[in-house]
Amino acid sequence: MIGLLESAAARSPSHTAVVTPEGSVSYGELLSDARRIASALRRRSITRFAIVEPDVAWVIRLLAGGALAGAEPCQYQADIAPQEFADQAQVLDHVVLVTRRLDLGGTLDVIRPEELTGETSDELAGAADTQPIMIQTTGTTGRPKAARHDWQLLGRTVARFQPRPDQRWLMAYGPHQFAGIQVLQHVLASHATLVAPFPRQPRDGLTALLGDDVTCVSATPTYWRFLLAEARGRNVGLPPLEQVTLGGEASPADLLSELRAVFPDARISQVYASTEFGSVASVKDGRPGFGVDALYSELHPTSNLRVIDGELWVRADAGMLGYAGESGKEPATAASGDWHATGDLVEIVDERVMFRGRSSEVINVGGSKVHPLPIEDKITALDRVAMARVFGRPNRLTGAIVAAEVVPMSGLAEADLEDIRRDIKSAVADLPRAWHPRSVTFVDAIETRGEKTVRGMEA
Amino acid sequence: MGADQSTVRAVITQFLARAEKSHDELTDETPLFGDGLGLDSLEAAELSAMLEDEFGSDPFSAGGEMPDTVGDIQAFYEAASTA
Repeated sequence: MIGLLESAAARSPSHTAVVTPEGSVSYGELLSDARRIASALRRRSITRFAIVEPDVAWVIRLLAGGALAGAEPCQYQADIAPQEFADQAQVLDHVVLVTRRLDLGGTLDVIRPEELTGETSDELAGAADTQPIMIQTTGTTGRPKAARHDWQLLGRTVARFQPRPDQRWLMAYGPHQFAGIQVLQHVLASHATLVAPFPRQPRDGLTALLGDDVTCVSATPTYWRFLLAEARGRNVGLPPLEQVTLGGEASPADLLSELRAVFPDARISQVYASTEFGSVASVKDGRPGFGVDALYSELHPTSNLRVIDGELWVRADAGMLGYAGESGKEPATAASGDWHATGDLVEIVDERVMFRGRSSEVINVGGSKVHPLPIEDKITALDRVAMARVFGRPNRLTGAIVAAEVVPMSGLAEADLEDIRRDIKSAVADLPRAWHPRSVTFVDAIETRGEKTVRGMEA
Repeated sequence: MGADQSTVRAVITQFLARAEKSHDELTDETPLFGDGLGLDSLEAAELSAMLEDEFGSDPFSAGGEMPDTVGDIQAFYEAASTA
């Protein structure tokens, strides 16, 4: 992180690094603030700290300052409720909090970020040997879980990037998410500009696309669907993009073809990464799933992907050192090549490895194991459907039934909804009967967590 | 929403239409299973979900005796409203 920032600032100090609602900040400014923060952290002997901060420029200053000082930052969701923050901070054992919010802290030692940048910068003897960062996993409720990473390992995936100062990336993820950290690293390594609206809803992303000359966007398939729906709702054309990246969820075929149609000149990539395993693989052919030739084999011994009993297994080049609270391996051995089950279920169809959903999302309908994703794909592909979510609904007779929430295209009459029900019935007719949605409700919006669609069993 | 006879019948009729199941005129005696409406477990589960969505509870999930006829479903809601 600090290495990437130093190299970008050395080459183009006055180039705009990040644009946020608070203004634009150059690489040179970010670096000098990061140095002041590192000095202040060392002076106060801070080795770990929590961050609650929505503004991405501040986040970069704090992360880079932490890396330079060898102190471990950990971001919490910027809009976290005070009690939830207090509970999570206790679990993750944080005693120092850096935030501009006035309603957080309690017994913690609260420091305003401006206090840190307001101090003078000492002569630092180079970056710390270890540069830890803690990243919380998303999609969890209740007890927080966080992965311990090292910036130098994370940086491997962007080590050979060429400068692309003309690129302007949209920050569609939160900077506290692993995917958000990946976008930060990507932008810094490319000496590009990050456009980071806040709030970070797809509607805010669309506004940035239309007004801030964004050229590259990385987001979840769910975010992309919302963005396209928002553009249709506002009846605006989307500007051309150079790069379209999807990650965090499987990319349905109909979404990929829609993105291809809307952004004909864009390179479309799908990345496979997780908070635990880091960035594992990417696919650039714009089709769903990935080719079986990418799997580990005698002919392809360097691949980090294999399929065991219908589940994707990976080995991490830049994976975590361990979860928070666990003593971890040394960074040097974290990449030693152990294979890990991912919980992502896959099926090989016509030489492609196709994602079928998460093992935790499987719905047990009267003893039949049902995967929500293929059903959802068939429903979202329907003309009159804008978005859909398929999940398990508890039922006394069969244990569970398949349920679907459907967002219809806008402007449809009540009578059309019955037609959509019939369309759904026809669309799933070739699936086994246990897979047919038995509960279809029409909603204005579908439930998401961390910009991913919530599937699995309903509580 | 009140679960009087006509609204309960309406939900069952709507379910049968959506499930594309042909049927004779519904009476209290119409059996839900076998020679009557011929529901299987998945279809009964679907009907129970529709009833729950409409009335907040349903006779299949309530833990008591399973309904066998259209009239049993009606009786469940009548018992609930007088309880």
